Amino acid sequence: MKKIMDIWIKEGRLPNKFLVVSFILLSTLGTFLFSADEPLCKQVANYTMNVNLDTEKNIITCTELLSWTNDSETSTDELWFHLYWNAFQNNMSTFLREGTRRGRRVTGFREEDWGYCRVESIKIAQNDFFDEYDLLPTMNFRQPDDDNAFDQTVFSVKLPKPIEPGQTILLNIDFQSRVPRPVSRTGVFKDYYFIAQWFPKIGVFQDGRWNCHQFHASSEFFADYGTYDVQITLPSSFIIGATGEYRENVDNSDGTITHYFLQHSVHDFAWTASPRFLKYEDNFEFAPGKTTEITLLLQPYHENLKERYMNAIKNAIKYCSLWYGDYPYSTATCVDPAYNSRSGGMEYPTFFTGGAYFITRKGISRPEGVTIHEFGHGYFYGLIGSNEFENPWMDEGMNSFLDTEVYYAAYGEPFYSKMYFGIPVTFKNVKIPIESVGISRHRLTSNMDDMQRFSWHFMEGGSYGANSYAKGQLMMLTLKRFMGKELFAKMIKAYSLRNWFKHPCPKDFYNIVSEFAGQDMSWLLDQFIYGSGKLDYAIGNIINQRPRQHKGLFGGKFKEEKKADLKEILYESDVLVRRLGEVKIPVEVLVIFEDGQEIKEKWDGQYRWKKFTYKRPHLINTAIVDPEFKLVLDVNRTNNSMTKKHNKIAPLKWTSTWLLWLQHAFEFFTLFGG
Amino acid sequence: MRVLLNFVKGFSATGKTLRMVLLLFVINLLFSMILAFPMYSSLKSSFGQSLVGENMAEGFDYLWWGEFMDSAKGLETTFSPSIIGKGAILNNLENLIQFRFFVLPSVIIILGILYLLLHTFLAGGILSIFMKDTPRFSMKEFFNGAGTYFIRFFLLMLISWVFFFFIGSFLGGQFNRIINNVSKNSLSEVTPFYLGLLFSAIIFFLLLFIQMVFDYGRIKIVLEDSRNVLRSASEAFVFVFKHLGSTLGLYYLIFLVNVVITLIYVLLKGLVPQSAFLTVFIAFLIQQVFIFAIIWLRCWLYSSQMELYRYLK
Repeated sequence: MKKIMDIWIKEGRLPNKFLVVSFILLSTLGTFLFSADEPLCKQVANYTMNVNLDTEKNIITCTELLSWTNDSETSTDELWFHLYWNAFQNNMSTFLREGTRRGRRVTGFREEDWGYCRVESIKIAQNDFFDEYDLLPTMNFRQPDDDNAFDQTVFSVKLPKPIEPGQTILLNIDFQSRVPRPVSRTGVFKDYYFIAQWFPKIGVFQDGRWNCHQFHASSEFFADYGTYDVQITLPSSFIIGATGEYRENVDNSDGTITHYFLQHSVHDFAWTASPRFLKYEDNFEFAPGKTTEITLLLQPYHENLKERYMNAIKNAIKYCSLWYGDYPYSTATCVDPAYNSRSGGMEYPTFFTGGAYFITRKGISRPEGVTIHEFGHGYFYGLIGSNEFENPWMDEGMNSFLDTEVYYAAYGEPFYSKMYFGIPVTFKNVKIPIESVGISRHRLTSNMDDMQRFSWHFMEGGSYGANSYAKGQLMMLTLKRFMGKELFAKMIKAYSLRNWFKHPCPKDFYNIVSEFAGQDMSWLLDQFIYGSGKLDYAIGNIINQRPRQHKGLFGGKFKEEKKADLKEILYESDVLVRRLGEVKIPVEVLVIFEDGQEIKEKWDGQYRWKKFTYKRPHLINTAIVDPEFKLVLDVNRTNNSMTKKHNKIAPLKWTSTWLLWLQHAFEFFTLFGG
Repeated sequence: MRVLLNFVKGFSATGKTLRMVLLLFVINLLFSMILAFPMYSSLKSSFGQSLVGENMAEGFDYLWWGEFMDSAKGLETTFSPSIIGKGAILNNLENLIQFRFFVLPSVIIILGILYLLLHTFLAGGILSIFMKDTPRFSMKEFFNGAGTYFIRFFLLMLISWVFFFFIGSFLGGQFNRIINNVSKNSLSEVTPFYLGLLFSAIIFFLLLFIQMVFDYGRIKIVLEDSRNVLRSASEAFVFVFKHLGSTLGLYYLIFLVNVVITLIYVLLKGLVPQSAFLTVFIAFLIQQVFIFAIIWLRCWLYSSQMELYRYLK
C-alpha cells in the first residue's frame, strides 16, 4: 500500500478516491492506516493532507480530506470553518483592525507579502450517510463576532441534509494559500517558514451551535481532536519539523522530498521548514519506562544554547508529567525561531517554539522560561483543549502558573538582569521571587476587566494580558497556598487528567476545586474569575498603651492608684487589620510580642477592618497579616506588616547607593561642557 | 615618550592641588545631595514601618521594588536594582552614548544642566591654577580665573554642542536607521548586535574626541588669552589633528586609569555587605573616594593636556 502511495506522490497529488477509501477505512475500523497506536480519544476531526510548498512563490497547494463526526447531541445542516490566514490578506480584517489599535501595525507590505487561504473546491465525498455533493456554491463568509464584512476568517457551507448526531461526513477540500510575511505567529521570512493555522479547519459544534470565532488580535485557538495524516513536499535542501511523528520521507527525484507526519488525538497541525536548522534529537525517559523523542530545531547562531534548550524541554516534560499526568505523545518538537520571524513563543500540539538571544547568562530565564511555557501549553491548550477564544485564562493563566512552577522547581529564582548595549548583565544580589511574577501587570491593569471574558472583549491588550496571564497565574498560586500544597497538587492533577480531550469550561474548574476543598468554593472563585476587585489586606496600626492607673471617683469614693500599686503591668495593645481591597477572603494575622511570643489569629476578612486586643505584660513588636504569604494576589505586600522597631538603615543604605549613580551621572554631564 | 612625560607631569601638578579637587568634589556632593533628600524621604516613606525595611537592609526586596515602581513618580522612577555597583556606571554610559539623558526626570536634567554650567565656570579656575609653572591652589585665584574665562568657555561650550548635536542627533539617527534596516532584513540578531556595538563605540569615541578637542580650545584660551572663541575652537581642531597620536595617546592613557579605578570600585563595593550603620558608612566612603578619584582624573587630564600643549607649542 505504501509503495503505491509513494508512486502516486511522485506523480503528483493523491487521487481523491484513494483518500476517500483511506478515510472510510479509518472511520469504520477506528484504526490508523500506518500506525498501530491506539488513539487516546474520540477522533472527531480527521485530516489527511497532501501539501506542496512552492518556495519560489511562497504558495501552498493542498488537497485536504476531512472526516468530521457530529459529536454533539444536535443535528446541523451547516459546517463552519476557520480560514485564519485570511486575517493577513488585507488591513481590514478583524485581526489587523484590532491589532492596529493595539500597536501591531503592518507596514511596508508589498503585494506578495499579503497572505491568504482560498478554498478552490469543497465537496462531500460519498459515504454511508451522504452522496457526493458540491458545497462551493453554498460557501458563505461569516462574521459572528463583529459583523466586519471585510473579515473572511470564517466561512460556512450549507449541507444538502442535516448531519445527525454520531454521523460522519467526508469532505474533499482543495485550497491554495499564500504564505504571508510574518505578522503574528506564522509566515515566511527569507527561507524560514513557520506554517501555522494554515488550512481550512472545521470549528467545534457544541451545545447546538458552531463555536467558530473569527481570528482576533488577541485570540488563540479552539478545535476538536482528531488524526492528522500529512505529507509535505518541499525542496530537498529544507529541514522540516512538524506536529507528530515523522514517519518517513520520499525523494521525488526532482529536487523535492515528501515528508510524512502522522499524529492522532491532537487538534491542530503546524510545521516549519528552513535549510538552516541544526537538528538535534534525543530520546528522553521522563518517568520509568516512559519515553518521548525530543527534536530541537535550532538556529545556527544559537548553537551554544543547545544544552539549555534541551534541559528546559526535559525539565518541562519531567515536571509536567509529574504534576499534570504523563506526557502521552511520542514526540515533542521545539523550534528555535528565526529572528524577525515573529513565530517565537507559540504552541501547537507536540510542537512549539521557544525564543532566545545568542548571548545569555546563568540565572537569566531565557530560553528556559519561554520553552517551558510553550511546552506547558501542550497540556492546557493541547491535551485539555481549553477554549482560548472564550476562556483565555484557562489556558494562558493556568499555563503561566505551570511554567513558573516548573521553572522555579528546576532552576530556582532567576536574577534580575538588564541589557546594556545588547549584552545581558545579571545582578546576582537581586533575585526575582515567584510571587513577583506577573503581580505588577495585575496591580496596574487587572481591574479594567473581569478575568473571565472572551479574549477580544477586554478593554485593551494590556488588560487581556494582565487578566488572562498574570491574574490567572497568581490566582492559581493563591489557590495552591490557600488550599495547601498537597491538596492542590491532587486537585490540579485530577483537573488535568479528567479533562484531557474534553474542552472544559470554568464550571468544570469550579466543580473540581470545590470537590477537593470539600466545600462550594464559588464564594472565592467568583471573586477572582468573575470579579475585577483587588485583594489587599494591611496592618492599619499597632497601639501599645501602658496600663491605666485608676484615678477619680469610684463608687462615690475618690481613688488614685499609683504605679507601685499595680501588682502586674499588663499593657493594653491593639492591632488593627484592614481590608483595603474588594476581595474578601479569610486571613491569618501573626502578632509578635517583644518577648518573642507569637499569637496567630484568624479573621474572616469580611468587614473592612478588625481589631485584635491584648492585655499582656509585653508590648506588641510586630504584626503581619497573611504571614505565610498565601494570598499572592495581594497587590500590596509592603503594607502586610508593621513593626514598632522598623529598620532605619534601609533608606540610608539605598539612598547612598542611588547617590553614587547620581554623582556619577552629573560628572558624565560635564563631558558636554566644562 | 612625551605622552608619558606629560602624563606624569600632569599627575604631579594635580597632586599639588588636592584642595581644588576637594572643592570640586564637595560641589558634586552638595549638588547631588539636593536630590538625595527627596529620594531618602520617598524610600523612608515607602518602607514605612513595614518589615520590608528589614529585607532591604539585608538585601533587595524585589517584590517591594515592583510596588514602589508601579506608583513611582519623578525622581523615584530612577530607583532600580540596576543602580547597584557596576549597574550605576553602565546606566550612565549607555544613557550617554545613546543620548538618553532626556528620558531622565526633569529635575535631574535641570540640575544636570546647572551642574554643567557651574563646571564650565569652574573649568576657568582649574585651568588658571594649572597655568602656573608651579600650580598651587588659592581660592582667590581659582575664582578669579573662573570669572575671567566663563563667558568664553560658555561660548565654546555652545560651539561644542553643535558637534555633540551632530553626533547624537544626525549620526546617531543614521546609525539607528542602518541598524534598523539591517535588523529588519536579518535572519539573526547577531549582525545587528555587532553593528550596534560598533556604532556605540564610534559614538563614544567621537564624544570623547570632541571633549578632548574643546579641552584644548579652553587651554588655548587660557594660555594665549585668546578672545576669539571660534578661532580657538578651530585652532584646537588643527592642533589635535596635527598631534593626533600624542593628544589621543594622553587622553586614552587617563581614560585607561579611569577604567581601572572603576573596576576597582565595582570590586570593592561588592565586598561590603551593607546591613549595619558601620558598613553602610564604609560603603558610602568607598563611593565618595571613587567620585573623588573621577574628579581628580578630570583635573589630571586638564593638567596633562596643558603640559602637552605647552610642550608641543
